[in-house]
Amino acid sequence: MNEAAVRVDRLEKSLGSNKVLRGISLEARGGEIFGLLGPNGAGKTTTLRVICTLLAPDAGSVEVLGFDTRVAPEEVRRRVGVVTAEIGIYPRLSARENIAYFAELSGVRRARAGRTGGLDGDINRRVDRVLERLDMGSFARQRAESLSSGQKQKVAIARAIVHDPPVLMFDEPTSNLDVLASREIREFMVESKSRGKCVIFSTHVLHDAERLCDRVTIIHEGRVVVSGPMAEVRGKFQDLEDAFLSLVAAS
Amino acid sequence: MSAVWIVFRKELREILRDRRTLIAIGLAAVATPTVLFVIAQVSTRTVAQAYTIGYSGDIPTGLGILFDATGLKLVHVDDPAAAAKQQVDIGIVFTASGLDEYYDPTRQSAQIADIRLQTVLGKYDEAKIAAALREKGVDPSVLNPLPVSVHPLSSPVQAAGNSFLSFFLPYILITMSLTGGLSAALDTSAGERERKTLESLLLTPAPRGHVLIGKILAVSLTSLVAAVAAIGSMLVALSQVTFGVSQGEPLHVTLSPVAAAVMIWLAVLLALSFASVTIALGTLARNFRQGQAYATPLYFITIFPASIVLFIPDFNPSLAYYLIPILNAVLVLRDAIVHNTVALGSLAITTLSLLVTGAVCFYAALRLFTREALLVRS
Repeated sequence: MNEAAVRVDRLEKSLGSNKVLRGISLEARGGEIFGLLGPNGAGKTTTLRVICTLLAPDAGSVEVLGFDTRVAPEEVRRRVGVVTAEIGIYPRLSARENIAYFAELSGVRRARAGRTGGLDGDINRRVDRVLERLDMGSFARQRAESLSSGQKQKVAIARAIVHDPPVLMFDEPTSNLDVLASREIREFMVESKSRGKCVIFSTHVLHDAERLCDRVTIIHEGRVVVSGPMAEVRGKFQDLEDAFLSLVAAS
Repeated sequence: MSAVWIVFRKELREILRDRRTLIAIGLAAVATPTVLFVIAQVSTRTVAQAYTIGYSGDIPTGLGILFDATGLKLVHVDDPAAAAKQQVDIGIVFTASGLDEYYDPTRQSAQIADIRLQTVLGKYDEAKIAAALREKGVDPSVLNPLPVSVHPLSSPVQAAGNSFLSFFLPYILITMSLTGGLSAALDTSAGERERKTLESLLLTPAPRGHVLIGKILAVSLTSLVAAVAAIGSMLVALSQVTFGVSQGEPLHVTLSPVAAAVMIWLAVLLALSFASVTIALGTLARNFRQGQAYATPLYFITIFPASIVLFIPDFNPSLAYYLIPILNAVLVLRDAIVHNTVALGSLAITTLSLLVTGAVCFYAALRLFTREALLVRS
């Protein structure tokens, strides 16, 4: 798939008096893992928040599968799933109830076979499928407040994918997790890519990005430093970390 | 399925699993009748309590019987003035020309004993004068040229009960409509930010207005349940408390159907307004504790109108007063309880005023709930 699933064009955004994004442009496609890299404060999270319509752009445009975020924000949100480092789930609901709540709010129940290209409209079956896919059966009925960090992160992932969005965004998803849980997330991203999803992976862990990403964009102080296929960006440098440090220092 | 219903159902499920809210409602249901029983017990004891009068000198003939009948106990003391400071409630000295009384007005028991003493002495004087007139062949009724017969249009005891309800019910209605759902309101607004669930919620395609309405309805229902539970338990308790005897039967205070219907209607309107206000305040807060700090002044603002009825019981306002939110609810409910009827004009103005207040509060909450700063600050 080479068609751009997410297209960001000369995006600008200020938060208060701080100009966070200064003309960011990028394209992410279906069936690839797209790396959004940069040091802390570069504007990665703000870019993702504009893409998923949580923030409105000051200038420039963002399209997700042809829907402009300004014109059709609800259509965009219907097609996007986001996993962040902060695992916010409802502690008094079970893992299953958490997932079902977001499935309902995402309109899963309203979907009908035939009308939406064969989507399964039944909440329970959809939730069961996600629980099975992420191997969550053993703690599905446990209250979220009693789950481990890794289990909670799985709930957060399940919540983001239960409506089967074609675009998945991961914002520093492994920063609070142990080695085992981090590996599961990485495996999940690869699996999603193989299913034809557009996976946007925002991180400052360059080792992960180097292993997973097909293409990357490095941003620094709200501007794109470099963008392209992984091999091209790495170029003559020994590894991505060398490339990153050199490019950021030169920008 | 509508996002309003989905959010409403989820919020209720969380509320039912939240100990803070359940304890608040449970305490309200238990505390109200408990306070009522204590008040009733204290009142009963005050009425039945015997007060002590320390005296010196010779008691005039016949006066001792009157003292016994009025619940005043006579005790001989050496110095009535000194004894009246602490040892007895009142001190009196019978002299050849009359009576000297010593009492401390700062003591409530002394005030009550004084009132009873004046009653006893008045009756004693009347009896002595009547006897003297009869000895001289004069009809004692000459001293009362314009006899008065009192015909109360309703039971004075019932009126006293209604007066009691007209203060307590609005007070409980206002307090519980606000505090009953406060914990749930802060949990669903400030708590959502504190738990970091807000971003995920706003990422769903559900319209934010629908999400907010679902939250407001869930909090309103919680407030309504708390208010009805508190008032219901109070009425049950009142049915067990005797407020005197009427025509040989113990008299209990009950709420008329008109007052009950008005109360439920006002509770619905107040719950909707308070839910919007508290959710708006919670949306401003970064966490639950900060939300509580924001909501505290609201409590004092809302109980003020109920206090007006306490301090100005015969407050007879013009229709314009019914435009003032909360005060109008207190006045309408007071009218319904005391007069067992409601003027349609005042009820209509009150309803309109509270609906407009609720709509303004909802608009404010929606503006706060949809602004970007909500996410940036969190």
